[in-house]
Amino acid sequence: MTRPVLGELAVLDDVGPPRRGRAYPAAGATSALLLPALLLLGGLVAWPVLRTLHASVVTDGRWVGAANFRAAFAAPGTAAVVGRTVLWALLVPAVVTVLGYLLAAASRRSQEGGLVRLILVVPTALPLVVTGVTFRLLYDPDPQRGLATLLLARLTGRPAEQVPQLLGPGLVTVALMSAFVWAWVGLAVLVFRAALDAVPPSLGDAVRAYGGNRRDVLWDAQWRPLLLRTVAVVFALVALGTSRTFDLILVMTPGSVRDEASVLALRVWQTSGGTTTGEGAALGVIWLAAVAAGMLVAALFVRQAWPPPRDPGPVDPEPAAPPRRSIRLLAAGAALAWLVPLGVLLATSLHRPVDAAARAWWSTAPSLDSYRQLASGPELWRTLGFTLVLATLVTAAVLGIALLAAYPLAWLTGPPAQATGLLLMAASVVPVQVIAGPVNEVLGAVLSSGTTRGLALVHVALGIPFAVLVLRNAFADLPAEQVRAVRLGGRHWWSTLRLLARHNRPAVIAVAVLEFVQVWNDLVVGLLFSGPGAAPLGLFLAGQTRGFVANSGVLAAGSVVASILPVLLVVLARRQLVAGLVAGGVR
Amino acid sequence: MTLRRRTLLRAAAAAGTASAAAACSRGEPAVQVAVVWSGTELARFRQVVAGYGAPVRVVSAGNDIDAFLRARHLAGTSPDVAILPRSGLVVEYARRGWLRELAPAASYAVPPGMADLLATDGRRYGVWVKAAHKSLFWYFRSMLSEPPATWDQLVAITRRLGARARAGIAPAPLAIGAADGWVLTDWFENVLADIAAPDFYEALARGEADWRSRSVRIALERLAELWSIDGAFPGGPRRALLTQYEESVIQVVHHRRATMVFEADFVDDVSARFQRGTEQPVTFRFPGSRAADRPLILGGDAAVAFAGSPRGAELVRWLSGGEAFQPWLRAGGYLSPNVTVPLESYHDPMRRALAAELRDAESVRFDLSDRLPGPFTGSDGVGIWRIMQDFFADVTGGVSAAEAVRRATGQLAAAARAAGGGR
Repeated sequence: MTRPVLGELAVLDDVGPPRRGRAYPAAGATSALLLPALLLLGGLVAWPVLRTLHASVVTDGRWVGAANFRAAFAAPGTAAVVGRTVLWALLVPAVVTVLGYLLAAASRRSQEGGLVRLILVVPTALPLVVTGVTFRLLYDPDPQRGLATLLLARLTGRPAEQVPQLLGPGLVTVALMSAFVWAWVGLAVLVFRAALDAVPPSLGDAVRAYGGNRRDVLWDAQWRPLLLRTVAVVFALVALGTSRTFDLILVMTPGSVRDEASVLALRVWQTSGGTTTGEGAALGVIWLAAVAAGMLVAALFVRQAWPPPRDPGPVDPEPAAPPRRSIRLLAAGAALAWLVPLGVLLATSLHRPVDAAARAWWSTAPSLDSYRQLASGPELWRTLGFTLVLATLVTAAVLGIALLAAYPLAWLTGPPAQATGLLLMAASVVPVQVIAGPVNEVLGAVLSSGTTRGLALVHVALGIPFAVLVLRNAFADLPAEQVRAVRLGGRHWWSTLRLLARHNRPAVIAVAVLEFVQVWNDLVVGLLFSGPGAAPLGLFLAGQTRGFVANSGVLAAGSVVASILPVLLVVLARRQLVAGLVAGGVR
Repeated sequence: MTLRRRTLLRAAAAAGTASAAAACSRGEPAVQVAVVWSGTELARFRQVVAGYGAPVRVVSAGNDIDAFLRARHLAGTSPDVAILPRSGLVVEYARRGWLRELAPAASYAVPPGMADLLATDGRRYGVWVKAAHKSLFWYFRSMLSEPPATWDQLVAITRRLGARARAGIAPAPLAIGAADGWVLTDWFENVLADIAAPDFYEALARGEADWRSRSVRIALERLAELWSIDGAFPGGPRRALLTQYEESVIQVVHHRRATMVFEADFVDDVSARFQRGTEQPVTFRFPGSRAADRPLILGGDAAVAFAGSPRGAELVRWLSGGEAFQPWLRAGGYLSPNVTVPLESYHDPMRRALAAELRDAESVRFDLSDRLPGPFTGSDGVGIWRIMQDFFADVTGGVSAAEAVRRATGQLAAAARAAGGGR
């Protein structure tokens, strides 16, 4: 599952020292507002986590101690899987962070910068399934279809049989990582850009005035005041994101190289499928511990690295000079490179199904046949309709429940606020594969297992922690006078809540857009929990990747259709996303 | 294992919900059937159950019907009937007490030995409803004038065509979708069925024989002999390991980059979509040691009824009769496991011939990997699929046949032990 959560910036920031000193007592009645969120989180996240912990130390109800853990580690390849997971969590965030900073700096204050950033942001909105389809098309081992393979053959001058295979056992992890970096750099660029914009240019001038060179400017006017923390946040965000490479691996790797690409996410799923028992539970617990530890370290690091943010004041109205020409060209070049995979996807979708499977997308005239075939079956319309309704309902539910819960939580200060922040963050990073079995039990108890209602409940439960965090932070940041005025006016709590929501429109929009896009783009929740009546989009696309080459035309067309709505939403709402989430963290 | 259900979309459950709603409105709740099929197959099966006296709701559980049914069982919402793609699952469920004992229709008769696969402790828990013939090579007559009649001839032809392919003057002899592990297990099963005594094959499937024994080694050596031939596969063996089943068929019927492709009767589904020109691909049987030895491997889908559902058992009984599947027989693309189905009812000439073979075959072996327990049964990157892919990579990558066989048998034995069977 992907959660391209811009807002974890705000989230991570929140576990820093308390920055809001509003000592509003929570009205007794408002605690009841927490109930829906507590029920969902308790039933579908907290209890299942405990059940998984339990399942990891029992077999068929008998206590077996660490036997499951030993068995999991004795299984061939486990060490490599753990190593690969760690590599993902260290290398990929480093690359994304560096690229994100460079591109954000290079695309600032130039005319084409906005366009560059727009291009970079588009991949962040795509479902990871679509990213996987795109890169599998690009990396196809047949030089008659795969552009990358063709270029490699030309560059190395080797015959097709000896060209390094990007999807082969040796390079498959590199191929997957490249797809992931492609998808996530836009996010890093947005965050860095917001951070850079918050640095007053006068700071750089001051450093220069004292005889500082470029390096000094970078160090004293950017890195020390702001970037260190932003780097930590972006790194942590991407590192947590890499624990969700599952979709990409499932879509991009043929069966013969799946082991060479496997990470804990995949291994847990392969070992225990939809149930959570024995070795699968043991691996899941290890994974859970690693994610939780990573989150805590990130939170601590952020807290130490960032003294309580002070208001940077209005940004200097005097426009600073755009970056040098060569740097601007670099940004433009990156944008062009980022367009190539999108072009490949689009071009493949514009071929007849037979041509798309049999020859290069650049070798025949475009046709709409793949789209026609896609649109002629009932499946596409059904899955689009289903996913639209599901995502809308889930978004509405998450928003409603999170608004209610965020209200009383926003009055907390000091350690309780930090503790709730940490708990909510922990709940938002629990990998759903780890708790699939117990969640199904709980759903069974409320007669929702294998039904669309169950699927929606899981989505809502997984979406709530993050939504509550963002809204709580936004509420807590509202100027005290405004809240006081409302309360003194003797109005009811719901008037206060309405006022809070109105004044935090960017945060509300951001939460709604992210939740909608997350459900729309989901694969893993659908894979684990959808019943016979459900037809989520992610599964619809992933199902066709089994016969990847034979289906590539229709699959590419489906991917394009599936991407339109999330891309539009994220692109249109990107200012609110930044304002509602990122800016909240820098404020 | 039938591939189409793997490749097609699972999203096709649409009509199921609609028909269920219609059924519910008539009062009595519909009998619920979970199937692995999707797309065309699902539509055909709906036509089949439309002929049943009571309302039936068909739901497509997609590729991973096992996970689906386990989750439903956990939640206490199991369907009445399920159609399972592997006989191993039937036995597994029956042993856990999930299934109801069945009595098939009077006209139910399957090739010898097949019915036993769905029984445990002498009780029958499933009936076969669909068969797949998994011992076929597909080729064009214009590209191969004389198909091989024995394994040695197949090796000789592969050598000859391989040499020409290396010289760049002819297509490669064999297309193989080695990226899909089940293709390789199907190869192995055919060779093993030819070499091993039937008892040994069955014992292996039941987890009672040693995977390091001589027959397994010889079967693997045979495969190594063929697969290691230079120029055997279009684009080379590394490319073959990234080639999925459908693409291997496309290499033969569309590009004609390869001369032959081995797989099951359902190859015609892909070839119909991708073939160029009017020439139809034809088949020859998987060759054995002698011209008279023709191993026959069958795969298939079995219907089971869940415990506590007498209406489910009734529906399964009806499905087991020869008449039930008439709509699918008429539409084509269906091979019945029931040998009492008259050959005239097949409208699809290839399947009519295959049905006749099924009747005449002296010895039928059933897909081995489908019968293996737990994860040993294989899926992408797991179990016997993965082991056969490692073996393929070894023998085509310069590892000596002896060493590759030693590694593979060691892995097979270890996997069998881990899955709770074998020695």
